[in-house]
Amino acid sequence: MYVRRRRCYIVKYVLKRLFMVIPILLGITFLSFALMQTASGDVIDAIYEQAGGVPSEEIVAAKRAELGLDKPFIVQYFIWLGGVLTGNMGNSYVSNRPVFQDFMSHLPATVILTLSSIFITVLFSIPLGILSAVKHNKITDYIIRILTFVGNAMPGFFLSLVLLYLFSVQLKWLPATGNNGFVSIILPTVTLAIAMTAKYTRQVRAAVLDELKKDYVLGARSRGVKERIILYFSVLKSSLLTIVTLLGLSIGSLLGGTAIIESIFMWPGVGKLAVDAITMRDYPVIQMYVIWMAVIFVVINLLTDIIYYYLDPRIRLQKER
Amino acid sequence: MRILKLVAVLASVGVIATSLVGCGNSNSQNSTASMTDSASTGGLTSEKVFNYGTTAYGVAMGNAGLDPHISYMGWSSVRYGVGETLFKFNEAMELEPWLATSYEQVDDTTIIIYLRDDVTFHNGNKMTGQAVKKCFERLLEKHDRAPMDLDVNSIDADGQTVTFTTNKPNPAFVNAICDPYGAIIDVDAGITEDDNVVGTGPYIAEKVSPTEINLKSYDNYWSGKAKVDKVNVKSITDGDTLTMALQSGEIDATQGLPYASLSLFQNHTDYTISSADTSRLYMMAYNYKTEVLQDVNVRKAIASAIDKEGFTKTLLNGNGTPAVGAFPSNFTFGNEKVTAPAYDLEAAKQLLTEAGYTDTNGDGYVDKNGQNLTIRWLTYTSRQELPKLAESAQATLKQIGIDVKVNATDNYKDFLKKGDFDIYASAFVAAPTGDSQYFFMTHLDDNSVGNTGSYHSERIQELMNQLRIEFDTDKRSDLAIQIQQQVLDDNAYTFASHLKMSFVTKKGVTGFTAHPSDYYEITNKLDIN
Repeated sequence: MYVRRRRCYIVKYVLKRLFMVIPILLGITFLSFALMQTASGDVIDAIYEQAGGVPSEEIVAAKRAELGLDKPFIVQYFIWLGGVLTGNMGNSYVSNRPVFQDFMSHLPATVILTLSSIFITVLFSIPLGILSAVKHNKITDYIIRILTFVGNAMPGFFLSLVLLYLFSVQLKWLPATGNNGFVSIILPTVTLAIAMTAKYTRQVRAAVLDELKKDYVLGARSRGVKERIILYFSVLKSSLLTIVTLLGLSIGSLLGGTAIIESIFMWPGVGKLAVDAITMRDYPVIQMYVIWMAVIFVVINLLTDIIYYYLDPRIRLQKER
Repeated sequence: MRILKLVAVLASVGVIATSLVGCGNSNSQNSTASMTDSASTGGLTSEKVFNYGTTAYGVAMGNAGLDPHISYMGWSSVRYGVGETLFKFNEAMELEPWLATSYEQVDDTTIIIYLRDDVTFHNGNKMTGQAVKKCFERLLEKHDRAPMDLDVNSIDADGQTVTFTTNKPNPAFVNAICDPYGAIIDVDAGITEDDNVVGTGPYIAEKVSPTEINLKSYDNYWSGKAKVDKVNVKSITDGDTLTMALQSGEIDATQGLPYASLSLFQNHTDYTISSADTSRLYMMAYNYKTEVLQDVNVRKAIASAIDKEGFTKTLLNGNGTPAVGAFPSNFTFGNEKVTAPAYDLEAAKQLLTEAGYTDTNGDGYVDKNGQNLTIRWLTYTSRQELPKLAESAQATLKQIGIDVKVNATDNYKDFLKKGDFDIYASAFVAAPTGDSQYFFMTHLDDNSVGNTGSYHSERIQELMNQLRIEFDTDKRSDLAIQIQQQVLDDNAYTFASHLKMSFVTKKGVTGFTAHPSDYYEITNKLDIN
């Protein structure tokens, strides 16, 4: 009875949240469309400027008409929306290829990079954070704290160049650019993971320290419960809430692509695709990206909430009441 | 706990190592380029592989693909040895036969082109007049610029000849079909979804993606099979990555290295640099609607205060050549054939005095009727050289008492439309097909959008009318010189510099040189020793 009520609640909750995606998508796509219009110049200007020529006005006007860029902005938006509702995301103005396929072909690279960097981050940051908290104000703690400072302070582009220089130019262990199978993912993953590990280690440390000060830990200790049991089964579980929130945000932004890292390592993800599209004012590609970002953040937030629900009995009981 | 410690120690070591590398960066510089074992010779087999990293290929350039009939993809087709045009340019940007043997201008509107008899497409089919006709028909149907440039009325094919008739006399027709959009492909063989084509060049594209093209040599290439078996063209947009990919030996050659990195490879025994002046021109247009600039002395004073030498040598690290006229020196109507005001600050000051501008209040700026001479300098940032030109001009013009207010914005079109500028500095490929007419029509014609300064000269209009119908190459060249000289005498434009394009290759790479047209890169001459 209880289980069924719980399942029913979750299903209803998820449906409600998914339904909310519709107004969000409408609002956000309209907003981004409007913002792009305020920027001067369009894709036609961008293409010919790159090539360094000035074609005659007739050519430019014909091209504009062909893409529908001569229509008022609101009309352009509804034409685009109409296409989307009938399952047609349009063609890229620049490459002339279907946007959906183009985007989907870039997505696996981004997903793989997200998973690998999150995996490495979790693998290192949780043990390091716990160790740092357990060894509070001892030499191990200091070393870890200094390293996390350094890791946090180093901007991604700098770190990636340093890694490239070391592992590619000097040691020649790893390739500088993407597309060479497994080895190609190592450098971008490490670059992303170092900054995140630094951040997460500090978060885990703070959360664990917080928990360790709580009465239940003292109680457990006084009852003679082993320190390791307290740490793994009580403290870590309670600390996970903070980590899950952070992970949600990180995964969201990673799935949006990391334009700088992707550019440096020539990693064919969606971040670079989006930045290129913005430079070229390639509206259909930008809109596809905007939709993707909106969807992932809604989904990730939803997942985070569901995980909370399972992790934290307080939330669960409060909602079910 | 022990495992935990181990992981922690490992992680710490990793982080320490990377941070130390950051500090020790400069010490290890010497050993960077010592590697000579070429990854490019392909290991056990004797297959030669050439890896080429370039900033010039990609979706943003409009050239990601090989279909010459779409946007700028023809550039990739010709650059990477897949497609070839009927005629090509030599180093002096003069026409040379390529897939054709010769042409005959029968009358003002009829041109017969004679084709080579020994050319086959990558699928083994012979390149015939009929195939060329079909290719041009598709070009005229699909391409944006070609129909206007070529202005074709009809195409006839017979054996190995193709006859074009144009609607109006088009003296630059043969030049125009050297534009990479004129690359000949087998239309009947079809074009793949990823824009791969069947061409006639030394290389067949095995795989085409927006970031990479994989090529293999074509055994029956008419001009002799290529020496290198495989070529991988990689788009690398980040300058630092490109630099390091070359240093690590991952690529054998680059195009588009950042100016700052180029010096790493200069005078280095392990690398060779090949440069060519292109017709990409950096220039300034004077706005004739601005009252102060209507005085020719003021325009001339400004022209005399532009330090082209300093700009190209210092600010561009030598990656540019000072310009006199609109076209670089290798053109028959290039720099040396015209004269422009030399860099001379004293003469400039004198000219300003003659125009009535002197520094009456001692504030360092010249004035007239109580008004300081201020120039609104409009430019944009997407070409990295333009803001530098603005900086350079701002510094030197200050020395003659002119206050330059730089407006470097990517909204420059709005300012142009409103006329909210005095000088507009821009970049332009002046002679993409080796002919001068294109530049003049776009920048000097009364009705052209490119004539941003609203410059009008009766004499130039008349000379341009002659140029439009003149077929004789020498006479065209002479007209081009006269037109440029008139522009310079009027000080309607100042031509600051031409861009120098450079390839950096590993030692041992031969047959890979920069060409002034920027069209020809990978040929059957390419070799790795």
